[in-house]
Amino acid sequence: MLRLVSKRLLQGSREAQLPAALTLPRLYHERVVDHYDNPRNVGSFDKNDPSVGTGLVGAPACGDVMKLQIKVGDDGKITDAVFKTFGCGSAIASSSVATEWVKGKQMEEVLTIKNTEIAKHLSLPPVKLHCSMLAEDAIKAAVKDYQTKLAKSSNGSSEASPVEKAANA
Amino acid sequence: MSKKKLLTPLSSLLLLRRTLTSTPHFSIPHFQSRTNFSPNIEKLRPLFPLPGFDFPGKSFISSQFGNKPNSPTAGTAALPLKRRLFCSAPPVGASNPSITPSITFRYLDCKERKYDSVEEHLEGKYKDWQKKLHPDLVHSKSEKEREYAAEQSARVIDAYRTLSKPLARAIYILKLEGVDIDEEETLSDLDLLSEILEVREAVEEAPNSQALNQIQSLMQEKLKQWSNSFAEAFESRNFEEAVKAIRRMTYYERVNEEIVKRQ
Repeated sequence: MLRLVSKRLLQGSREAQLPAALTLPRLYHERVVDHYDNPRNVGSFDKNDPSVGTGLVGAPACGDVMKLQIKVGDDGKITDAVFKTFGCGSAIASSSVATEWVKGKQMEEVLTIKNTEIAKHLSLPPVKLHCSMLAEDAIKAAVKDYQTKLAKSSNGSSEASPVEKAANA
Repeated sequence: MSKKKLLTPLSSLLLLRRTLTSTPHFSIPHFQSRTNFSPNIEKLRPLFPLPGFDFPGKSFISSQFGNKPNSPTAGTAALPLKRRLFCSAPPVGASNPSITPSITFRYLDCKERKYDSVEEHLEGKYKDWQKKLHPDLVHSKSEKEREYAAEQSARVIDAYRTLSKPLARAIYILKLEGVDIDEEETLSDLDLLSEILEVREAVEEAPNSQALNQIQSLMQEKLKQWSNSFAEAFESRNFEEAVKAIRRMTYYERVNEEIVKRQ
């Protein structure tokens, strides 16, 4: 009995972020189900790593949280991306797609990714459009975080210039 | 073996006793059974100290309705029952047509529209309503009246559900003030979000139910704390702060749901 329970618990913890796919209603597009079943790039980077940008956003109406992190090379290209989302299937699928789309792209380029593209790709129903919006905002927040870090570190290495001081004030 | 068998009922009884006394949640069925078995309904009167609330068998007609037989709502067959059901205090929420009529304070709180004073008598009022609307009491009445009673009963349940939960009550009471918190915009409050992310990860990685219970009690504490800040903000009509508190509560409630799913 104990073994059974512990087994269930263990299984539960492994699947916790992605509760059984069976609970998804059938009306979702197969791509949503696919990303929900096999989410790409789940994980975390060290948020204190200077080459990492972290975007943390939430949907206040439903209590969802989405974290999207990018790793940026010296040339400004996004070399890797991961996400962690606690939310509905559409939110998980949207962030999974977002990580796939930002990889290998320049930062300026990913800022042009629109939530409508994600929604279209996943055929999200109108009530779930805000989930794709969340993904778009997560990308933007991650890029912004990276740029802030970059500005800060260049600030720290050289003497802070008056212009930067003014910007910080 | 036999010793074990002997011990089991006793220990389970003790356990049951402990849960009954320690968690307020379990005191509800206790209360229920008391009301059901009480032969003297008059004894319960102090529990429902509202104007217009009365018990079956007494005269229900409140003075206001009694003096106005030709009120605009007159003419429906359901009126006699309707007259008995509403208290003389003006129904709160009736002035705001945008509010779903199914959940209004008038059903369970005739006195005042206050956030934190609702819970005290809610349970009793709810049961009192359901006693009045019980099918046994109206089975000999006309079909319209029976339908009316059933519909009202559903509304009372709806109202009870809304008002008994701090978060639902907060959202509702703010809606009465015309503040809709059904927001679509993305939240970027990093303090809250990183806190929630951490808690959600903790829930996900919780090794046993004990760890889950610990997180749950922490969430209950947070809910209480933010429910209090909501009450304060609402009282001083600081709706911005009130919305903030609701946001917090939504997130903590969400964590709770997740814990319940995993338990």
